[in-house]
Amino acid sequence: MSVPEAIQLVEVATKATTAYQRPDLTARLGRTKERLADPAVRVLVVGEFKQGKSQLVNSLVSAPVCPVDDDIATSVVTVVRHADNPSVALVRDSDGNGTPERTQVALSELAAHVSEAGNPGNRAGLRHAEVGIPRSLLAGGLVLVDTPGVGGLGSAHGAATTAALAGADAVVMVSAAAQEYTRPEMDFLRAAVRMCPNVACVLTKTDLYPQWRRIAELDRGHLAAADVAADLIPVSSAVRQVALRTKSKSLNEESGFPVLIRYLREEVLARADQLDRRNTANDVLEVCAQLTTTLQAELTAQESPERAAALVAELERAQAAATRLKDRTARWQITLNDGVADLVADVEHDLRDRLRRITREGEELVDAADPALVWDQFSAWVHREVCVAASASFVRSTERARDLARRVAELFAEDGAIALPELVEMPRSDAPRVSTMNRPEIAPQGLGDRALAALRGGYMGGLMLFMPLSLIPAVAVAAPFAALGGALVLGRRQVRDERDRALQRRRSEAKGALRRHVDEVQFQVGKDSRDMLRTTQRTLRDHFTVLAEQVHTSMTASVVAAQRAVRSSEAERKTRIGDLKAELERVEHLSGRARALAGSS
Amino acid sequence: MTRLRDDVRTALQHGVAVYRDRPASLRWLQHHLDRLDEPLRLALAGKVKAGKSTLLNALVGEAIAATDAGECTRVVTWYVDGHAPSVTLHPRDGGPSRQLQIKRVDGALDIDLDGTRVEQVDRLMVTWPSAGLRTTTLIDTPGIASMSLDTADRASRFLTPDDAPTAADAVLYLMRHLHAGDVRFLESFHDRGVARAAPVNTIAVLSRADEIGAGRVDALMSARRIAARYRADDTLRGLCQTVVAVAGLLAFTARTLRQDEYTALAAIAALSQDELDLLLLSADRFTHPDETVGPPLEVRRALLDRFGVFGLRLSVSLLRTGCRDAPTLADQLVARSGLVELREVLATQFSERRDVLKARSALIALERVLTVDPQPGAAPLAAEVERILAATHDFAELRLLSDLRWRVVKLPREQAEEAERLLGGQGSAAAQRLGMDVGTEPPDLREAALAALRTWRRRAESPMAGRAQADAARTVVRSCEGVLAGLRS
Repeated sequence: MSVPEAIQLVEVATKATTAYQRPDLTARLGRTKERLADPAVRVLVVGEFKQGKSQLVNSLVSAPVCPVDDDIATSVVTVVRHADNPSVALVRDSDGNGTPERTQVALSELAAHVSEAGNPGNRAGLRHAEVGIPRSLLAGGLVLVDTPGVGGLGSAHGAATTAALAGADAVVMVSAAAQEYTRPEMDFLRAAVRMCPNVACVLTKTDLYPQWRRIAELDRGHLAAADVAADLIPVSSAVRQVALRTKSKSLNEESGFPVLIRYLREEVLARADQLDRRNTANDVLEVCAQLTTTLQAELTAQESPERAAALVAELERAQAAATRLKDRTARWQITLNDGVADLVADVEHDLRDRLRRITREGEELVDAADPALVWDQFSAWVHREVCVAASASFVRSTERARDLARRVAELFAEDGAIALPELVEMPRSDAPRVSTMNRPEIAPQGLGDRALAALRGGYMGGLMLFMPLSLIPAVAVAAPFAALGGALVLGRRQVRDERDRALQRRRSEAKGALRRHVDEVQFQVGKDSRDMLRTTQRTLRDHFTVLAEQVHTSMTASVVAAQRAVRSSEAERKTRIGDLKAELERVEHLSGRARALAGSS
Repeated sequence: MTRLRDDVRTALQHGVAVYRDRPASLRWLQHHLDRLDEPLRLALAGKVKAGKSTLLNALVGEAIAATDAGECTRVVTWYVDGHAPSVTLHPRDGGPSRQLQIKRVDGALDIDLDGTRVEQVDRLMVTWPSAGLRTTTLIDTPGIASMSLDTADRASRFLTPDDAPTAADAVLYLMRHLHAGDVRFLESFHDRGVARAAPVNTIAVLSRADEIGAGRVDALMSARRIAARYRADDTLRGLCQTVVAVAGLLAFTARTLRQDEYTALAAIAALSQDELDLLLLSADRFTHPDETVGPPLEVRRALLDRFGVFGLRLSVSLLRTGCRDAPTLADQLVARSGLVELREVLATQFSERRDVLKARSALIALERVLTVDPQPGAAPLAAEVERILAATHDFAELRLLSDLRWRVVKLPREQAEEAERLLGGQGSAAAQRLGMDVGTEPPDLREAALAALRTWRRRAESPMAGRAQADAARTVVRSCEGVLAGLRS
């Protein structure tokens, strides 16, 4: 979301921190500005195969940006965002370095790259396709992500989509009015509301099904029963397209799209906007609090120099407290380190447990059938179960990591509330008393986002890595029946015995292959989730260490300022008090603007 | 063919004699002896809302199975031809069966279970006088709900073993448009109960074909293309004989098209293009109370119920391009719905093979008795079953067909295709086996059969061939000989 006001505010605050020579705070505001510069609000369009996901995206932006076909499905994620000039780019991971490689293509060629026909199973290894198009709906920063329906939600692909939910600002679940929600759809929705704050359900193709109202009612019932708080919006892309062509307002209303667009604007965009404002306001308020502390410390010392010595002593105590906060033995540090260690162990145990269950069930399946006959289905089953387990484990560790972040933030806030000596306050100030250090409010969402962005890169990469690793067929398992040709020579009993022996051999080989595969997956996924948690730990540690350092710097500056005050002459003191009051007023004005930004929306 | 049936009958009668002191086994054998002369039992199976009941009605040409937007068929229901309509309830616990009241609601049968809970009902037997049921008994099954999670079910999701006795001789498996990579694409084939699918007796139907392609007039062309793609899918070939796309609702409506409906459609077709475009844009538009063009609201509502949006669009476009009366429209709609194609496939795959499929069911049942309940005097009977199974070339053909499709026996692709055709994979008439037009003269057929015979004899004797391949070639040689013998007589 581009919030010009927010950017302006950050710029003013940056000027202030530069003037007060606080490069640490300037750097912090720099990061805030970076965050504002990336205005993308990602809306993931998900759903089963052939429910009309691509058609929905096309109708939303009223342009054929995603290829639509009766039979052939989308195989590559297509990202649709605002651009002043229409453009299409294919994004591919380049080998070695991290920067992806982009190739510009014509819109008419897109279908050949992102559909099952031209690029089956994404053989070309595209990361995604990016379509830029000038549309007012997208100009606000809305980015529509059309996901492949290949394989369905219950499949390995679906599991990858579940994992991608963590990085989305909103999810639009697409289901055609042909029938009510199926089990896999409900399972997906349940996972979606846990991972993403904003979920909407869209019922498509209402033009084709006279009974769509009844289906909508049934679906709403399913949503209520599963405790999924999501709106259900019935739409018809066919009606919308005619409405756009004939410019008929009433038909457009009938298509249901205005409701969906309103949802995207008011719920998704506005909420993201509000979050941006709040986070920015918080950052600026914190910076102001740091500046105020130093200024007020000096002002107090200047106004009553007789108390300056005592004040310096108290400030030094506060400084010591701030030093302790950035120490490795600070409570938040210990909690973070222990928490991550626990989490790693817990997630690993959880994953091992899930995989062990797959091994057990897989072995039962192998015992119940002839591996030679069911091998393809069996390996598909294993692949899917393993992906589902990995994504479930991912959802779990993400949730737990968020919890941990919250806990650490609370502890930091408690210990960061360092007792300060009583300082002079500005008159007319409607700000809360700054008798304690302002609570370093970190917005959990913002932090979660940052941690998750790291996960997305690391973990999803891992997920992609192990996806092609499917069950390797044991040679003997796939070999044809040895006993088949022998039927003429051997008696019936002998044939049966031989057949049984061969079957036993095939079964034990199948089990061996299964166990080896599961071991491999456990190693890969285990490593990925460990890396993800370590990244989370590093992110949190860096974030809070920087905060602690800022507090420390503020305290040090306060001590220095108070000491300087003792040495200054009466005349100097008078001008300085005037200056300080003016400065405080300016900072206070800045805080006022930040509060106004947070309040308005 | 009838020799096979006689052989099987004799074996079953022999079994009845051997098991006369074992009431349970005796009942089982007696049941299968009766069944041998009954019409072919064709079960319709598939997921919830796949359109099973609608297709059943289309096949019969009458609205005898109830249909609804929600889940509808909850009990296995048999539809049998008979003199007078009646409905019999067979309880699950084996208690006495009861007659139920027959009511008709909007033409469809409304069966009141009379207080019996659904779980207690084994099956309902509907006797109905209908030409559509004379040669085939149809069995409507409740949809397979959602994926169940216990392990036993998972195991049953894999292909049901070939030697399990089933109540149906053949299965029509209805599935909706799914991606080949979708696990449920295959899962939808694994059912328990009546409709156990085995590749030799299963035909897959891409149902609700009219919903593909957003209800455009050319939707069924897309559906046929998709069915063709499914047919080429290796895994699916191992599970069914072929795949056919059918629009069940359209087929049913076309078969029961009334003159008043034709008149109403003709009135709609006479509207201007702009009016039509708007009227047929969506279901809501078509039945909008404020709409002034076209027939009155109730008529429009009824039409929508019967035809669906796609059926209306297709009918109107047919009427505008020169369809002049109700019978022509009905014929055109039936042809386009895919029903004709389905009937042809049913005829070549099942009706011509009726005796083999029936004999197969009976022998499987007999073998089961012999394994489960061994008796001292049963040894010669076991030998006889084995003899029939080994000596009947039709079974060898079915087995090899299934092995080729499962790629248990591996032949180069063109050879495998040719072998499947010669084994009767596309119908057992001489011309179909030889891949020639139906009207081909016998001398030409003979020549083709001789050529095929020579080729496959050479393959059977090739020193390069593995044992499995040589055995397969020998079976194909016998099929060629069979074709030649048939042409001679």
